[in-house]
Parts: sequence; C-alpha cells; structure tokens
Amino acid sequence: MRKVAYYKGCLASLSAKELDSSTQALAPKVGLELVELETVTCCGAGDIHEAEPDYYLHLNARILAYAEAAGCDTLLTVCNVCTLNLRQANWQLKNDDALRQRVSDNLERVGVPPYSANVEVRHLLWEIAEGEGYELLKQSAHKGLKGLKVAPFYGCQILRPSKLLGFEDPDRPWSLERIIEACGGEAIDYPAKIKCCGFPIIQAREETALGELIQPIEQAKEAGADALVTPCPLCHLSLDAWQSKLKAATGQDFQMPILHLSQLVGVAAGLEESELKFKRHVVPVAPVLEKLEV
Amino acid sequence: MSTHIAPAPGSSTIELALKIWRYDAETGEKELKRYEVEAPDWVTLLDVLDIVKDQQDGTLAYRKSCRMMICGSCGMRMDGAAVLACKTRMYDIAKSGHEPVISPMGNLPVLKDLVVDMNPFWGKVRAVKPWLDPGYDEVAEKERIVSQQQMNVIHKEALCIMCGCCVSECNSMESDPEFLGPAALAKGMRFVGDVRDEDDVERLNTYNEEHGIWDCTRCYFCNERCPKGVDPRDAIAKLGAESIKQGIDHDMGAKHAKWFVRSAMTTGWLRETELVPKTQGVISAIKQTKFALGLAKRGKVPPPFPPHVAERVGEARALYNLVKEQGREGALGIVQGEHALGRIEFTEEAGARENAPEIQPGVEPPPAEG
Repeated sequence: MRKVAYYKGCLASLSAKELDSSTQALAPKVGLELVELETVTCCGAGDIHEAEPDYYLHLNARILAYAEAAGCDTLLTVCNVCTLNLRQANWQLKNDDALRQRVSDNLERVGVPPYSANVEVRHLLWEIAEGEGYELLKQSAHKGLKGLKVAPFYGCQILRPSKLLGFEDPDRPWSLERIIEACGGEAIDYPAKIKCCGFPIIQAREETALGELIQPIEQAKEAGADALVTPCPLCHLSLDAWQSKLKAATGQDFQMPILHLSQLVGVAAGLEESELKFKRHVVPVAPVLEKLEV
Repeated sequence: MSTHIAPAPGSSTIELALKIWRYDAETGEKELKRYEVEAPDWVTLLDVLDIVKDQQDGTLAYRKSCRMMICGSCGMRMDGAAVLACKTRMYDIAKSGHEPVISPMGNLPVLKDLVVDMNPFWGKVRAVKPWLDPGYDEVAEKERIVSQQQMNVIHKEALCIMCGCCVSECNSMESDPEFLGPAALAKGMRFVGDVRDEDDVERLNTYNEEHGIWDCTRCYFCNERCPKGVDPRDAIAKLGAESIKQGIDHDMGAKHAKWFVRSAMTTGWLRETELVPKTQGVISAIKQTKFALGLAKRGKVPPPFPPHVAERVGEARALYNLVKEQGREGALGIVQGEHALGRIEFTEEAGARENAPEIQPGVEPPPAEG
C-alpha cells in the first residue's frame, strides 16, 4: 500500500459524495492508502485565481503544506479543476525560490506548517492508468463490464494546459480508454471527448455553456454509448444534472447515464451500492446496471 | 527533384503523403485530396504545401509570408489542431508513416481551401482598442522609462503575432460566435497591463460586457495551441483580476468568482447552495427553484445550515488579510513564479548564459554591471 494524501475538494465533500465513497472503497484495491488531511480548504476552482490570485496561491500552498506535513509525497485528487489549480500553484512555488519563501513565511505566520515543495499532485486517473495501480486494477476488476459501451469524457483541466498537467498527449489521450478496456468495457471514440462541458460558465452564461454541454452527450449517444465516464465531478455535475436543461432547450431527451471514474471501475471491481451511491445521480444509471446484470 | 526547395548537400530526403481539404466557397464544392511528396528531411508543413502547389496543383490556396514564425499568416489545422505551418516540422510524421489531414482553422468562415476570412477576427481585435492611449496629446520632453519589472506583467501578451490559432479551437466561441475571444482579449490585456496606458478602467468596462472576459469557459485550448507562448487564458484571468481589483464586478462571472473568495474565507469550502443567488441574484435564483428541487432530491443541493466548515478555517481568513497587505493583487498576482525571460533558451553553442540574472515579476532586477 502506498500512502497518499487525499484531497477531496468541495464537490466530493458535499454534492458529489458518491465520488468520495466510491474512491475510498476503490483505493485499497488499487494499492492506495488514503491519508485524510488535518484541515484543508477549497482550491478556488480557478475563480479565486481570477479574483484574488495571491490568495489563491496561499490557499493551495496551505493544502500542499498539510500534505507534506502528513509525510506524503503525493497529493491525490479526484477532480480536474482541483488538479490544475493545485499543480499550477505547486509549479509557481517550485519554480521560484523567493516566492516560495514569502508564501511559506506567510503560512507560518498564521500557524500553518511551512511548505518545501516536495509534494506532487496526481489525479486518481493517472494512478490507475499505468504502473502498479494499473496492474492492481486489472486484478480487481474481476466482475468486468461485459462489453459495456463506454464513452470516455476527459474534460479540459486534466489535459490542458499540458505544460502544467503533462500526463498524456492532450489531443490523443489514452488513459480512460485503457482503463475502460482493462475493466472489460468497449471504449467509444468521438471528437468532443477532449472538449469543455461548459461548467465554469454554466451559471453566468448558461446558453453558451449548454452549447458546449450538448456536444459530448449527443456524439456519445450517436456513437452508441451506454454510459459516459468522466474523471471530473464538475463535468459530472453539468453532464448529469444539466441534461434536463438540454431537453428543455432542444427537445432532445438523451437519458445518458454519467459515471464518475471511481464508480465505473468500482462496478467492475464489485463495489456495493452503498459505496457507489448511484441513487444520487439525476439521470438514472439503472439501464447500465441492468445490462451488466448487477 | 525539380524544385526550389532542394536538399542541402549531405542531407537526405523523406517521402510523405498528406490529405488536404479542398474547398471553394463560390461553388460549395468540398473534397479531401491526397498528395504524395518527396522533400528534404528538414521541411515544414509550409514547405510541403509549397512543393504541392509548385509541382502538383497550382490551384491550392493557403496564406504565407515570412516562413519564420513571426508574421502569423499560415495558421491552419493539422489533424484537427491549429498550428503554424511554418513551425511544424514533418520529419517525425513522415517517418511514422502517418498521413496527416490538413484543414482550415476553425471558428472563422472558409474562403478557399486553407484560407479563412480573418475579418471577424480583426473586428474583435479592433473592438478592444488595440493601441496605447497615454492620456496626452503632446509628447513629453523626456521619454518615459518603463522597468522590466513593470513589463513582466504583459511579457507573454506582447509576443502575440495574431495568427488566430487560439481562436480556431476556442470552445466558448464555437457556442457564442460573438465572444471577443482569446486573441483580442490577450491584446486588451497587453494595454491594460501597460503602465503607460491611461485608459485601463474604460477598457476593463468594455471587456466586462456581455461577450467579454466572463464568457471564457476555461477550456485552455488557446494556451495549448498558441505557437508563441502567449497563454491567452492567463491573459483573460489577468483581466478578471484587474477588473475585480478596480471594483468592476457587476457581471455574474465576477460575482461568481468573488463568492469563491468569500466562501474560502468564511467556511473554507465552497458554499455551493448560496452560489446561485450570489451569482445570478435572488430573482433569477427563484426562477431556478424547480430545477434546484430536482437536484435537491438527489442530494445535489447541500443545505447551507449548518455550514460545512473546514477545521481551523481561521488560518484561511488570516491568510487573506495577510496577502491583502502585501499588495500582489490583480495581474501581478498571476504572473508570480513565471520567469519572464524563461522562454529564451540559450545553448552552449550560441553562448551560454547559465549565470544570467533571472528577472522575476514583483522583484526589482539587479543593476546592470559596468
């Protein structure tokens, strides 16, 4: 078991608790021991970066500092937006000694442990798409997905900007496909899998956001997908919860089930409904489960 | 080979094939045509197009000028991704046997083959008032010296060559064609951040309008595609930060961003349920009641009381007060950690500058020697 600091972020803590419970249940099966941090806050979701950038940097440094203080060299994330925000702040801090010193001094002044920039931020997707995590995943996914047609949806901030993320080719990613296939599913290909779900502007510019949101759902449906899987709870929220608004706006009722990455792998690994919590989804997941005879 | 692009003595040639979308706006005819080319191993995509036009099909239309990544004419898509043709070397592609598909840039009307109508692009650039407004008509007797530190805030924006590669894949613009977009907004930041410009408040008010900065969906395609390292999304974030610093925060996007700050200071976590009324206002939020109730049934609307409060949230509040005193607000906060001249790589052959002083945002550079 590898000890990693676990950063849930806002959604998995509250409105997407199913992401947290499925991640916690899956982690030991893929060789990860999740260390809960003493105290952390929101990463700012790109919004604090835009409103108060220096405060954004300090909030993220505080999260990284508590991960370091817990003796972990890896901070595990389960959200694209958390991943980018934490990696961006970490890059700033690693890249500039004077800046890191000022931020670290500020942290100490308010009672936070200093940060020496010895933590790497990694998404769960990366942990299970290669190496030991991938080998354990293959062993764990004994129940399989029985040829279920799954559309991988990456979203943006796990691919771009690649200079801050850099796990895979942002135009030809492979990690979700590899995991779907390792679990016995069939990965569906479609152009919008690397595009935006519209979530960051879904409240301020709903019409523009819906114009983005419809693309992956429509294309995945046309390509014959039974379900769509995403590594990001913000993508999940817009794809799942805002689907009803697409119906109102376009008359099309897609009924496309949206799964968190940890849920998809969790189904293949035989997790219980109490851990997967599909009842918390807006679009019913029942058709998928029926197909898998779960 | 009977071409002006001849292999240099001692260099070898490569064979490659590529497919080009041919299109004529006048007739509406569209065809994906395949071409085979033998070329020197150092060729770029632009060189290959030149060979095709010179030797095989003189009707092929594309734009070019400088051939050295500075004029911004030859933006086009290779396998769906916007590139500068003159920056794209073909050796690895040829050796892999892959046959790339070349098509015009996205989000702009196609005129012929790989040539797009740049008028919508230039219209948006003009809309951001792309010139310096020093706030006086008569030039002062003494020139105004701007420090490197001050220019660091816009060092990336100043690199833009207006090729349109960022606009090509802008996800917001696909959905809202009126969005000012990454190139125009990066140009806007280039002047908002320039200490010599006296028009920043007026500019920010304009950029805060309906199809301005808060339309950006943060897909980061612009940063990924820019061949010059401008990072237009970062420029848009800088404009947001400068707007909020100046108190220009009437847009729902700005209110949305400010609520995250408020949430972090008070509970540490995003106060999700209050985000809608804080962003859209109470009336709009009430109109969303039916939708919200649907989500509430699935536990997607966590009750605001009792609030979900992070342990020792006082630290987050104290940090806020502390950083406010240190004055790295606005764009200056965003460029921290960037090494302003870090993109220039000096090689041993070209004269190494391993010990060159690094000039960083927010830090006065050391005085020049001698």
